[in-house]
Amino acid sequence: MSSHTNTNENKIILGDQEVLKSDLLTLNMGPQHPATHGVLRVEIKTDSEIVVDAIPHLGYLHRCFEKHAENVDYRGVIPFVDRMDYLAAMSMEWGYALAVEKMLGTEVPKRAEYIRILVAELQRIASHLVFFGTYGIDLGAFTVFLYCFEDREEILRLFEELSGARMLYNYIWIGGVWNDITDDQLARVAKFVDRFEGELHKYNNLVGENKIFIGRTANVGIITREQALDYGATGPVLRGSGVKNDLRKDRTYGMYDKFEFDIPVGSGEKGTTGDCWDRYNVRIREMFESVKIIRQVLAGIEEGPVMGKVPKIIKVPAGEIYMRTECPRGELGYHLISDGGKTPYRLKVKSSCFTHVSLLPAIAPGQMVADLVASIGSIDIVLGEVDR
Amino acid sequence: METIHLKKHIEPDLTFTQWFKNVYGAVKTTAIGMGITFKYVWGRDVVTIEYPEVREELPSNSRSRLFNDAENCISCLQCAVACPVDCIYIAAVKRATDAPKIKTKDGTPIRLDLKQYTIDTALCCYCGLCTTVCPTECLTHTTDYEFASYTLAAMKYDYLAPEIRAWRTRIVKA
Repeated sequence: MSSHTNTNENKIILGDQEVLKSDLLTLNMGPQHPATHGVLRVEIKTDSEIVVDAIPHLGYLHRCFEKHAENVDYRGVIPFVDRMDYLAAMSMEWGYALAVEKMLGTEVPKRAEYIRILVAELQRIASHLVFFGTYGIDLGAFTVFLYCFEDREEILRLFEELSGARMLYNYIWIGGVWNDITDDQLARVAKFVDRFEGELHKYNNLVGENKIFIGRTANVGIITREQALDYGATGPVLRGSGVKNDLRKDRTYGMYDKFEFDIPVGSGEKGTTGDCWDRYNVRIREMFESVKIIRQVLAGIEEGPVMGKVPKIIKVPAGEIYMRTECPRGELGYHLISDGGKTPYRLKVKSSCFTHVSLLPAIAPGQMVADLVASIGSIDIVLGEVDR
Repeated sequence: METIHLKKHIEPDLTFTQWFKNVYGAVKTTAIGMGITFKYVWGRDVVTIEYPEVREELPSNSRSRLFNDAENCISCLQCAVACPVDCIYIAAVKRATDAPKIKTKDGTPIRLDLKQYTIDTALCCYCGLCTTVCPTECLTHTTDYEFASYTLAAMKYDYLAPEIRAWRTRIVKA
């Protein structure tokens, strides 16, 4: 559809009605468009308000991460890994650390495993709060953005005390975690989690149950089950389309097999399965599940060291591994190839956001421009991870 | 001539009661939302701070401006090796054998004379890897966060220069 030379001669049929013949207008949405959540340029062809075609153009945030990783030692990769999905840096680090640990055969202490799950789930909440807040802004509801960032601030403050940075933590290291968490901080997490659960119900009443919000998101940007599977969608996008798939349960890593939690799946409660509201709702329910996991961590955390035995200069034995973890935005895969040297031979990253961006041309045609904004917001992409 | 077929979700026609239910739902949910928002008008503490007047104290292990206490540095180059962006430049020469023996604060003998210790803060990614490998703990992240400058050259900190060494009394905690 993207190769029209003379746009005048097209006949456009929307649903079963023929639209009045008119010129197709090519518009650039982005790269500095607030609704694209970063530097994504979507070239849209519109017939008045109706989007006929949408082509995402990537590469504005490309930083050669994969080539960089081949030139720094295994510990030095972690700061670069942080910068992929900068809203969920803890989850990014964890996947990389797991991949290297598996190849080294390092044992991670129990306490470190607990802390990792704790920070990863807090990070999931923080990341979904950003989605929630910015999605509100996309649809014209500014209030909830401020509420969400107030709660996120508490999580970031804890991470700052743990690691020293607010977003790019470099906290999960190969073999464990950098700093130990104090009892005082654990008590603060417990207090936060108790308060947050009530607040989240409140926010959901404010936005998710609102009739106008439902009107803007239900039956909009529908990704069918087949489409989601065809395009290789993962995470909340796949679950929003009604597929029960979560790597934390299906291919468990860390200590997730010892925790009890449900996998929320979209069911088309307000419209059709796989619409924007379903994806939104899956993320909200995931936050409640994260709260559940955090409570279990706080009940079960053990005393002990937080760093396993790792050689001073890490030399990973020759071989390769593909490690998949469930990040807030979906599946993150690291394909690490080592030739036995001090640096990775190749580090290929499979990012979920990249596959989700490729869904845009499939769901955009036939939508209004304003609904396209809702669709882009609901797949929740971070361009740092798309371009790497 | 090409025909483009676009999908469209067709909403079913509303009945009379459904229409009123819709209106009722819209009014009710908006009222709930307004109720939540109005609670924030009164009885809420202010969460923002007025920055230039009120300055936030960062947590003690916050990773901000780097400081190297050059007197305790043994020029081991471990920080420069650990740095993933290679922004630490060190030059050192062997200390003369007849020179007086000096030691760092924790008793490590200094065998090399530090001639240059420069960190290009504009390149630095504040990952903290250099500070963790430092054996004498002379290279530290401080909690000083106001160091914007007009030129890139001013971001190159030469830690042997007297004006930068004078920071020690200001930003390094005991």
